[in-house]
Amino acid sequence: MLLRDCPVISKRKPESMALFAVFQTTFLLTLLSLRTHQSEVLAENLLLTPEAFKVSVNSAQRCLHLQWTVHNLPYNQEFKMIFQIQISRTETSNVIWMGNYSTTVKWNETVHWSWESELPLECAAHFVRIRSVVDDARFPEWNFWSSWSSWQEVNVQDSTGQDTLFVFPKDKLVEEGSNVTICYISGNIQNDISCYLEGEQIHGEQLDPHVSTFKLENVPFIRKGGTNIYCEEKQRKAISNGTVLFVSKVLEEPKDFSCETRDFKTLICTWDPGANTALDWSKQPSQSYTLFESYSGKKKHCEEKNRCNWQITQDSQEIYNFTLITENYLRKRSVNLLFNLTHRVHPMSPFSVQFENISATSAVMTWKLHSLGDYFTLLCQVELHGEGKMIQQHNVSVKANGKYLLNELEPNTEYVAQVHCADDNHFWKWSEWSGRDFTTPEAAPSEAPDVWRTMKSGSHNVTLFWKPLSKFHANGKILFYNVAVENLDKPSRLEHRSIPAPANSTELTLDGCSYQIRVTASNSAGASPAAVIVVPAAPGNKEVEEEIIEGTEDGFSMSWKPQSGDVMGYVVEWCDRPQDPLCDFQWKKLGPNTTSTVISSDAFRPGVRYNFRIYELSTKRIAHLLERKTGYTRELAPSDNPHVVTNNLTSHSFTLSWKNYSTKSQPAFIRGYHVYLKSKEEQCQPGAEKAVLPDDTVCCQYKIDNPEQKTFTVENLKPESFYEFLVTPHTSFSEGPSGTFTKVRTPDEYPYMLVHVIVPVVICVVLLVCGCLLKSQWMKDKCYPDIPDPYKSSVLSLIKSKENPHRTIMSISDCIPDAIEVVNKQEGSKIQSLGTRKSLTEPELTKLSYLYLLPTEKNYSGPGPCICFENYTYNQAASDCASCGHAPVSPEAPPSQWGLLTSSENLLKALEKNYMNSLGEIPAGETTLNYVSQLASPMSGDKDSLSTNALVPPPCSEYKMQMAVPLCLASPPPTENSDLSSITLLGPSEHYR
Amino acid sequence: MDLRAGDSWGMLACLCTVLWHLPAVPALNRTGDPGPGPSIQKTYDLTRYLEHQLRSLAGTYLNYLGPPFNEPDFNPPRLGADTLPRATVNLEVWRSLNDKLRLTQNYEAYSHLLCYLRGLNRQAATAELRHSLAHFCTSLQGLLGSIAGVMATLGYPLPQPLPGTEPTWTPGPAHSDFLQKMDDFWLLKELQTWLWRSAKDFNRLKKKMQPPAAAVTLHLEAHGF
Repeated sequence: MLLRDCPVISKRKPESMALFAVFQTTFLLTLLSLRTHQSEVLAENLLLTPEAFKVSVNSAQRCLHLQWTVHNLPYNQEFKMIFQIQISRTETSNVIWMGNYSTTVKWNETVHWSWESELPLECAAHFVRIRSVVDDARFPEWNFWSSWSSWQEVNVQDSTGQDTLFVFPKDKLVEEGSNVTICYISGNIQNDISCYLEGEQIHGEQLDPHVSTFKLENVPFIRKGGTNIYCEEKQRKAISNGTVLFVSKVLEEPKDFSCETRDFKTLICTWDPGANTALDWSKQPSQSYTLFESYSGKKKHCEEKNRCNWQITQDSQEIYNFTLITENYLRKRSVNLLFNLTHRVHPMSPFSVQFENISATSAVMTWKLHSLGDYFTLLCQVELHGEGKMIQQHNVSVKANGKYLLNELEPNTEYVAQVHCADDNHFWKWSEWSGRDFTTPEAAPSEAPDVWRTMKSGSHNVTLFWKPLSKFHANGKILFYNVAVENLDKPSRLEHRSIPAPANSTELTLDGCSYQIRVTASNSAGASPAAVIVVPAAPGNKEVEEEIIEGTEDGFSMSWKPQSGDVMGYVVEWCDRPQDPLCDFQWKKLGPNTTSTVISSDAFRPGVRYNFRIYELSTKRIAHLLERKTGYTRELAPSDNPHVVTNNLTSHSFTLSWKNYSTKSQPAFIRGYHVYLKSKEEQCQPGAEKAVLPDDTVCCQYKIDNPEQKTFTVENLKPESFYEFLVTPHTSFSEGPSGTFTKVRTPDEYPYMLVHVIVPVVICVVLLVCGCLLKSQWMKDKCYPDIPDPYKSSVLSLIKSKENPHRTIMSISDCIPDAIEVVNKQEGSKIQSLGTRKSLTEPELTKLSYLYLLPTEKNYSGPGPCICFENYTYNQAASDCASCGHAPVSPEAPPSQWGLLTSSENLLKALEKNYMNSLGEIPAGETTLNYVSQLASPMSGDKDSLSTNALVPPPCSEYKMQMAVPLCLASPPPTENSDLSSITLLGPSEHYR
Repeated sequence: MDLRAGDSWGMLACLCTVLWHLPAVPALNRTGDPGPGPSIQKTYDLTRYLEHQLRSLAGTYLNYLGPPFNEPDFNPPRLGADTLPRATVNLEVWRSLNDKLRLTQNYEAYSHLLCYLRGLNRQAATAELRHSLAHFCTSLQGLLGSIAGVMATLGYPLPQPLPGTEPTWTPGPAHSDFLQKMDDFWLLKELQTWLWRSAKDFNRLKKKMQPPAAAVTLHLEAHGF
């Protein structure tokens, strides 16, 4: 229940009937005086009962306005009274509220009092009654309760239709977070009714069969258009009616309320208004703001929500006491601000900022100010900014126009100078900045360029390098560099050379003299001091051993030992990119007292080897190499293995060579090599040890600790064996990648012997054969001379000359051959064939391929052909033709042909005939294979006996040695009784070739 | 009732073009006397465009009113909306309407609806909503002018409002804001029904006033700008 929300009125209304009042008071006092004498309490109670008791309704405010009078009071006096009020709902017995209202009351005064109902008054009838008591110490005898007035019924009947549902309150405006009670009156509607708030059903309590109430607590702000609450009949499912609850945001107290003046004409008050509490449907506009000044009593409605201007009049006061009041339909708030006007001066920003006398290092800044009066002094702050940051800050006291000399400026630099001001006496706020930019002119470079040189060994070419001057020292844009070369050994003209910027090097070709080189940098304002460097006639570079240093990610820390005391400084030179041809040459100059430094560069990369040379710079500006350092910022594992070539492969060893492997271009210091050898042998050779590879294979490892040893011989290997090897470099912390093994097979030993033994033999044989071919005739004569032709023999001629009819030509019957030999006859081309039965002496017999020596056996029954040699020179063995089962056979003749020779008799005849024919046909001197044996046959000349004794093998091979037997088989001269078998030239198993 | 929000910028451009060319429409110019066909066609097109535009506007406005007004199945009783001109009519009655009466009813309805719509604009506090409503009012004014043009072409006089019958949107003292929201809902719904009916009306008129072949050519030329 919010009594304060209702316009609680307790007004006294003095009546004009004063005269009547006088009488009435007199009467009342009289009556009161008599009261003590009366004991009629009931009558007394009636006297003080409020009269003319009326109740009016403000249904929108849910307020009951009560008014009454107490007639029976003494005239012209005030009485302190207590009024007790009872309010019932629906029926008089249902008292929902009872309270006392204390006030002073005059005679016949109308007293007002209001009560606000939680429930909309339209929802139910209300009943009100009142009674009073005088609560005044002056009249203790009146201190008793009067009788109750009669009940006054309040019934706001807005529900005009009985068949219509009504929801109350209508269009209520409440503050966010407040509690609201609503109700609906269903009239004659019998259906169940459900009510919803923005679609969500709400539940209430039934006040009577037609009225239900719903208490909404802490209602939220949803939209400016209001929160919809509506009810519908369940059966019809149609919305019957509803109401819109306009929930306003809570009006906030203005924050940061502040007032200031910029020109002593207007006060500008500003604040943060907070949330806007405006609602649509004309329910509530935005909160209003009013500025009230208590000293002047002036008030101003502010048009804007967050600021208000207050005009300062000429005669206005110095002290202001402002109250900012904000209000809406629901709430009113205010904030207060008391201040002295002169303490709230916010100067306007300076204007007309200018620069005068701008030189390379200074400038004068001027500015103007809006006047605040003669008595005002402003504090101005000048700031100088360069390259985006503040460089200088100065405070200046200014009356009207400001001026300040800016010093310590850099040449050729763009600056921004700005100024703002505030009240110097009572600082309140700085004005806004006013500023401008300016640029100082160029000046001559202030420092000599940093110059260094490189000299190619063995030549007089000098490459000069210089670093571009910093912006601080350049003092402008460097246009070119001047190089002046002066011969120190002999007087000569200075040689000048001008190199346009931004070149940073030049190459000079000098002769063997000493030179002094001076380098200056020039801009539009002038030249810099000269950098001087001396190139001696003889560089005198000595060999300095290289020292390994360890680098870090931050660079290389190195130190050196000074050699002489006469030192001007030290220079460390290196290449940022040693792998590039241009190498990005760098140097660092250090003072004479420095013997250590840290070389760092953003270009340094892990796994790259950097070489540093430290020079000592003498006072004569001559550099001497002092030390050499090399190192890595971080060593990396070698990425490649050497390319290995296999040499000297033997059956027991081979040599590995990787001479092209450069240790200096590796990503780490190579400390040596590991040679891995895989073989079928389980044991490693001496000098090797077993190692397990990452793929779990086991092999032998040879360690080479000298990185410059780039050959290795693997020995004690087995011939004809497969070996696999891998050579990988190793550093102090890792080794090269596990690459592919290379296979090698050792050869066997035989080819070795073949080469060394067989080849010379073959050569000898070939030479011998060649010799033989060249001397074939000689060889023939020596080894196999031609058999003399008997017909050409001189003996034959001798015989012919004697004409001896009985030539001692061996008869075939006399011959008992042991074997028959067929001799190739070079002269003839005909073959004596058995089938043709031609004589061996026939001219057609040209070739006899074989010579068979058939054994003579007693049981041999087969006849055979017989060749009888007729030779006077040689004693050729011949067998008995009857017993010789041999015949000249062509190579093609199968051995079975021998079966044709079944009849020795026929054969003998044939032989005889052939022989005779041959004798007759072949003239002497023919080169046929006819030998005339000189053996005397025991049965020679006896043809019959031959034929008769054909079945008996005749004794054979009875020779008469005439000359040496061919093939060097000399036979003893036969005797008459000699056993034929004993002089058989050849055994059964031997034959002639 | 299908009231949905949608983008209407393309149709807005079309409408502006239509309005810009309205004075050049022969039907309104009388000089060429091409007959009422083209102007009826323009009116029909404008009606269809307004239907589309209203879908967007109604979606925005009903969301502004909040539930239950933006719920799809919301169907409140027509309590305070009895003064709105009703678009629904018996089919036979509608068929039996002559051209003059048909056009007169359309003109009167949109005159009233436009007036109510301006009252709607006064209540809305959201700047975007005000802008949309003002834009729609301008379009509706254009439709009203278009109907007047058709009537003039056909030689029908414009209905004169009776004195004192100027529609207002000032609810009575017992009229709550909730009922006012209901009326707004009905206004938008009735407007949509009227636009739908007008499309039918002008389509019927268009067919009835079908011009000869030469006029068809003229219509196509006017349509092709």
